[in-house]
Amino acid sequence: MSPTPSEGIARARSWWPGPRLVSVLVGGGAAILVLYPIAYLIQASLSVGDPQARPPEAYGFDNFTGLGRYAHILGNTLQVAAVATVLAVVVGFVMGWILSRTNVPGRAALEQLMAMPYYVTPLMGALAWAIIASPGSGFVNQLWRGMGGEGHVIDINTSWGIAWVMALFEGSVAFVMIGAVMKSMDPSMEEASQVLGAGRTRTMLRITLPLVLPGVLGAAVYVFAEMLGSFSAALVLGLPARFYVVTTAMYQMVSQYPPRFPTAAAMGVSLFAVMFGMVWIYRRIISAGTYVTITGKAFRPRVMDVGSLRWPFLAICLAYLTVAVILPVLTIVYASFQHLTAASPGLRNLTLANYATALSLDAVRSALWNSLLLGLATASIGVLLIGFLSWLIYRSRLPGAGVIEYLLMFPQAVPRLVFAFGMMWAWLVFPLPIYGTLWLLLIAYVTVFLPLGLRTISGVILQIDRALEESAQMCGATWGYRLRTVTMPLLKPGLVAAWLLLFIASVRELGASILLMGPKSKVITPAIVESWFSTSTELAAAMALLQTLAVAVALVIMFAVARRAVQGGGE
Amino acid sequence: MTERAHTAVTRRRFLKTGALAAVAVPLVGRASRADAATKVLDFSTGADVAKAEAEGEVVYYGHDSEPGIAVLLDAFKKDFPKIKTSYVRLQTGALYAKVTAERSAGRFGVDVLQLSDISPAIDFQKKGGWEQYQSPEYAAYKPEYLSTPAGYFGVPGVGFAGIAYNRTKLKPEQAPKTWKDINNPAYRDGVSVKLATSGMQHSQWYILRKMYGNDFWQEFAKQRPKGFDARAQLFDRLAKGDDRMCALAEYAGYTLYQEKGAEIDFVAPPEGMPAIAIYIGVVNKAPHPEAAKLFVDWALSKRGQAIYQNQKILLYGSVRNDAGPMPTGKRLADFKLLFPTDWNDYVASHPLFVKEWNSIMGL
Repeated sequence: MSPTPSEGIARARSWWPGPRLVSVLVGGGAAILVLYPIAYLIQASLSVGDPQARPPEAYGFDNFTGLGRYAHILGNTLQVAAVATVLAVVVGFVMGWILSRTNVPGRAALEQLMAMPYYVTPLMGALAWAIIASPGSGFVNQLWRGMGGEGHVIDINTSWGIAWVMALFEGSVAFVMIGAVMKSMDPSMEEASQVLGAGRTRTMLRITLPLVLPGVLGAAVYVFAEMLGSFSAALVLGLPARFYVVTTAMYQMVSQYPPRFPTAAAMGVSLFAVMFGMVWIYRRIISAGTYVTITGKAFRPRVMDVGSLRWPFLAICLAYLTVAVILPVLTIVYASFQHLTAASPGLRNLTLANYATALSLDAVRSALWNSLLLGLATASIGVLLIGFLSWLIYRSRLPGAGVIEYLLMFPQAVPRLVFAFGMMWAWLVFPLPIYGTLWLLLIAYVTVFLPLGLRTISGVILQIDRALEESAQMCGATWGYRLRTVTMPLLKPGLVAAWLLLFIASVRELGASILLMGPKSKVITPAIVESWFSTSTELAAAMALLQTLAVAVALVIMFAVARRAVQGGGE
Repeated sequence: MTERAHTAVTRRRFLKTGALAAVAVPLVGRASRADAATKVLDFSTGADVAKAEAEGEVVYYGHDSEPGIAVLLDAFKKDFPKIKTSYVRLQTGALYAKVTAERSAGRFGVDVLQLSDISPAIDFQKKGGWEQYQSPEYAAYKPEYLSTPAGYFGVPGVGFAGIAYNRTKLKPEQAPKTWKDINNPAYRDGVSVKLATSGMQHSQWYILRKMYGNDFWQEFAKQRPKGFDARAQLFDRLAKGDDRMCALAEYAGYTLYQEKGAEIDFVAPPEGMPAIAIYIGVVNKAPHPEAAKLFVDWALSKRGQAIYQNQKILLYGSVRNDAGPMPTGKRLADFKLLFPTDWNDYVASHPLFVKEWNSIMGL
């Protein structure tokens, strides 16, 4: 027999520790997780002796004062990140609005498909778009010349091309973040607007947009930071045009002998300032208004009937999915079956050798399983931890909660490749034997994806009326019981979105994994990049497709199991 | 100012000079000893094979591609099925940083280390990182192909680079013939090389600078060359016609892409071709010391060298005295290879190389 609410509350009281103690422990623990490697990074950025010496031989600010000569690279980075962020947020918002708030045909299926660009990964997207739109060998340009044209009609090896590819694949992140907020929105406000005579566009701009502003801003802050740290697209598409961004420049610094860690660390630490600025702006905006859309008043999410506009909206969705998923995936499939990618290959050029090689590699056999396992663990642990941290930051009124948000955003500010050095130095000396194991990668992933989870969940938590928790408190529910029975269920859309994002982000993680994986804790994405570097685009294509396939299968199985579990629980 | 041109920069002269330069490295670690050799399969080893099999594992850190390392380790595992293999693969700079960071924290997880650059190999020797082990297989190598003093590391192969061009973009008469031709303005905006992360690129920069003076590379900068990390990227672009000419075309990359049917040609300039060696040794305080010795012996043996030299994904020329021809039918001796003449000067030139090359690459 189920316990009555009062029994449940009484039971909850008996095992939940005091909120302050738990908050301090969890918040402090998360802060240490972030600050511990950062301390090593800052130490490295101040090292002015032998760049390889650990600990540093001498300290100074030379690495920071010398950054002026990389101003053009910082300029490139900001330009690409800004353009890509605007594009991605526009994509995320428009697609989020269409799929959450309108009666576009095939809404449910399209919504599922919208996560696909995130599975596809920027690396695969960049490889594909290089094949499609390189000025020389790009299929589109070959077609153009075949039709009698001269030169090229499209050039993906430009700052605009890099931003385009980044935006295509981060657009789905913005969609997931903004979509989660839109789903949690009471439609009565939009309906009231329309009843009062506002058109659909005006309602979207004047009612919907302001109400989902935390989600949009959260997505913008997150996506901008993600763009600052983006590596794959800039590497694949930027190098042929001699175009460098901070991450590709840092990669060169730490890859050559002797590695220039201090300069790379100084560059990374300098990006903290940019990130602080972004978080500060975000907090200023959300503290200036109220974005509550989930109140004690019951509502059922409803969609607007947009009439004949449904079809143009459907076309927008399909166009996005075509350029972000269908075209790149088909291109990569096409390339993976060739010795040397050509627009019109002869029979001799067709081969299965790339798949045979990929499947013979340890990097695919064991690393793929490790990646999936890590994705599952990171997403599950991450969602619990970050869900709690979001509540702590935005709801607990714990002194210093705001500071925790700044701390948790640190990993977003530094490109993961550089952050990974901090983590490597930090966890090497940690007196537990986790270095070189999957445990270290798990800690690393949870740490570097704190900002992703926080931005996804916080957008939703800000929409929940504090009065709901206060009502429960008035009824005698303890802090823990309120969190479990009121806050968490309301956060469910955000938590599900965060779980999905964390899972996929973990499976495709590159920067931190390169340095932290040991001989028995390999993961897949670094091997794909290395294959592109050192073997061929075609082998990298085959490996990337196998990775995507494995992720898709894993997600299908997990969703099926979860659905069965939910149905079983309901019976 | 133009430096004087060097003449007759031969492999033998270079390696002798290099060996002499390496004498300056202080002796670190325990004294050299002659390990009792036993015969296993068709090679000699100083390792206790029974103990190596009891250890059951060898951990390899290397710089080659994933498929390249897989080929190497699979071949070893086939010969010694009781010894499992695992590896870490990174570019030499990052790999060496990882090894030294691990060791400075008291973590000793690697058994065998292979590096593609002499500078970290010598630095590792100075730091006492290599285990001094007299491999019986060293007998098949000239002293100049061994560390000084012998026993720290050996040379399991040599790579070298010439020029390559795309036949559909350049006719044979338009193709470069000598190193000076890479500065021909006709190739502008269609030239590729490697980035400053590459040991081979450093070697080419150093040798041609000595040969043609400081202005040579400044002239080359006017070509607006495109820089990449690895040879696969260079040949991928060349084969697809994105670039017309590759000014640092590694022979191993050329053969791999030629086999794929790419319409590319290789040019071996008459001045000679810049070359670099790779270095392998047993790591001090290795967790599986006997397996590590066995692996190094195997790698340097005729058996292991067949993998290094004949597998097209690796294709390192063997410097064993009894080395056979490469899969292309050519022997290493058939090529005129150019090495730096002074190791100390070469290592000391690295900061200048990085600065100048980054500037040429637009970084």
